[in-house]
Amino acid sequence: MSHAASTARSFVLAEFAGPDALFAAARQVRAAGHTALDAHMPYPVHGADEALGLKRSRVPLIALVGGLAGVVTAYLMAWWMNAVDYRINVAGRPFNALPAFVPIMFELGVLFASLAIFVGAILLFGLPRLHHPVFEVEEFRSASVDKFWLSVETSGETGRLREELQRAGASHVAVVEGEP
Amino acid sequence: MSVEIRTVGRAPDPLEPGPLILGTPDDRQLNDELLGHVYRPGRAWILLFLLAAGGTSLLLLGVTVTLVVGIGAWGNNVPVAWAFGIINFVWWIGIGHAGTLISAILLLFQQKWRTSINRFAEAMTLFAVMQAGLFPLIHVGRPWFAYWLFPYPATLGVWPNFKSPLIWDVFAVSTYFTVSLLFWYLGLIPDLAALRDTSKGLLRRRVYGVFALGWRGSARAWRHYRIAYLLLAGLATPLVLSVHTIVSFDFAVAQLPGWHTTIFPPYFVAGAVFSGFAMVLTLVIPARKLLGLERVITMRHLETMTKVLLVTGLMVAYGYMMEHFIAWYSGNPYEQFVFLNRATGPYAPVYWLMIFCNVVLPQIFWFKQARTTVAVIWVASVLINVGMWCERFIIIVTSLHRDFLPSSWAIYKPTWVDWSILLGTMGFFSFLFLLFVRYLPAVAITEVKELRHELAAHGPSAGHDAVGVPLAEEESNA
Repeated sequence: MSHAASTARSFVLAEFAGPDALFAAARQVRAAGHTALDAHMPYPVHGADEALGLKRSRVPLIALVGGLAGVVTAYLMAWWMNAVDYRINVAGRPFNALPAFVPIMFELGVLFASLAIFVGAILLFGLPRLHHPVFEVEEFRSASVDKFWLSVETSGETGRLREELQRAGASHVAVVEGEP
Repeated sequence: MSVEIRTVGRAPDPLEPGPLILGTPDDRQLNDELLGHVYRPGRAWILLFLLAAGGTSLLLLGVTVTLVVGIGAWGNNVPVAWAFGIINFVWWIGIGHAGTLISAILLLFQQKWRTSINRFAEAMTLFAVMQAGLFPLIHVGRPWFAYWLFPYPATLGVWPNFKSPLIWDVFAVSTYFTVSLLFWYLGLIPDLAALRDTSKGLLRRRVYGVFALGWRGSARAWRHYRIAYLLLAGLATPLVLSVHTIVSFDFAVAQLPGWHTTIFPPYFVAGAVFSGFAMVLTLVIPARKLLGLERVITMRHLETMTKVLLVTGLMVAYGYMMEHFIAWYSGNPYEQFVFLNRATGPYAPVYWLMIFCNVVLPQIFWFKQARTTVAVIWVASVLINVGMWCERFIIIVTSLHRDFLPSSWAIYKPTWVDWSILLGTMGFFSFLFLLFVRYLPAVAITEVKELRHELAAHGPSAGHDAVGVPLAEEESNA
């Protein structure tokens, strides 16, 4: 319990009608020195990464590693099973028949890459999780429907931030505390 | 001759396709409308569900008889050892391919019209592949040993033969199903979050909440999401081509006349897309009415799909032509006999039905009138699926029933068990599909909202993709 208390942070949530107002507010808050920003949007909008100062995603690298692992696994599997451990003579063809192994190397490459992308993306999302402090705010439900929310994570005073967000055009501002 | 005078709305420009979204809904409105079928199922749903459940029990009956009696309950026997089991497998998996084409290939080509139908088509893919996977499973004779297909450390000490197209098939189909499922689920996550946030009951909120995995639409997550979705699409695109190519290898690698040909992979892929689009149309036409999706699945979508039917139909026709040409040009008497036997032998009616449905019928889509009349599209799409089933029947049965040795020729006839399994899979497919439209959003709401946002950002003068044509006007066109 003491651990939870020590890591508890405040989230200042502000609802905006559209992405442009949200991005403007995000830039403003960042200029004021806040870095732990997040935007919650019903669909992805261009400009969010830049407004929040986010880096490129690492998903393509994960996909590449997964895909190569699949191709190599498939070849090693087919080679060891058909050319080493249990040799099957099929009409005199070579035991280690790379061209005949290509379909399975391709399929397993795609399978491993896809699984890596899916699992990797979910983990990069920071999911799955059953709860998050922002869900305490009933109005936050609109984040998946039609409204754009800015969330500022802070351990300090929230009063000035609230005012600033209200001035930036937020239609609703709320503060929640909890473990991020 | 009567001249129609339009007084309301602007005159339709023949070069300007109709709108992708009718009217000017906002995000909340779209959300409520597109989820309407989840919150308020109609009476038609219950009726159709009972019908589909009946079909599913037919499948259970057919499969039970097969398990208890054995493969002898089916009509296939030497020389036609492959019949309904493989015909239906190829037919179902081909149907599935349009879903991947719509969701992945059209995404990469940035075709905006895919957005309203991709979720629907992906679900179709999943359920069609499930039906397809069932057939090789029960066709192996002793399905309780079906796991022998996978490389596992068996006490027998043997491993699968990786040079065999049949083992390629196992890997291709299982990979295809897995990747389709991941792609579909990744696309569903934001919509599940919308369901979680707008559902009324606590149970629903909790169940959708668990499946939404705690999605908060965070910009940090969207950044990974977009690239992950695009990459999965990029992987699914060659995958879908490889799957039907490998299915065609099951035939092309064999030495049998009528099977042993290099045109099979592209010809099978074209046929798969052709039948898949026909199935999407068969499903989407009643669904857009029953689920109230006419705002986002417009005449423009239907018309575009009929054009795909026309193009892929021509590819299939080219495949038929080349098969016949090569049979003649090769000078191989066995090859020539097979094609002559297809057109004039005991299965000639099936052959000519195939030619009519797959080659002649799609030509109606050269005409705008046919492309924009819902009833015509629907009937044609059903007939094309019949035609594509006939194609697989012709390929498999006619090549087998009269091969090299006339003393072993025979006539293949399916039994009631064969028919009940085929009809049963249609029932089971509908059963799964109805459950899907009852509990999950049939249209990718998040993507439609994104599309609406993009179209609105380009302004009303953005030509053919602009929103803003009143609902009533499109209805009068239809």
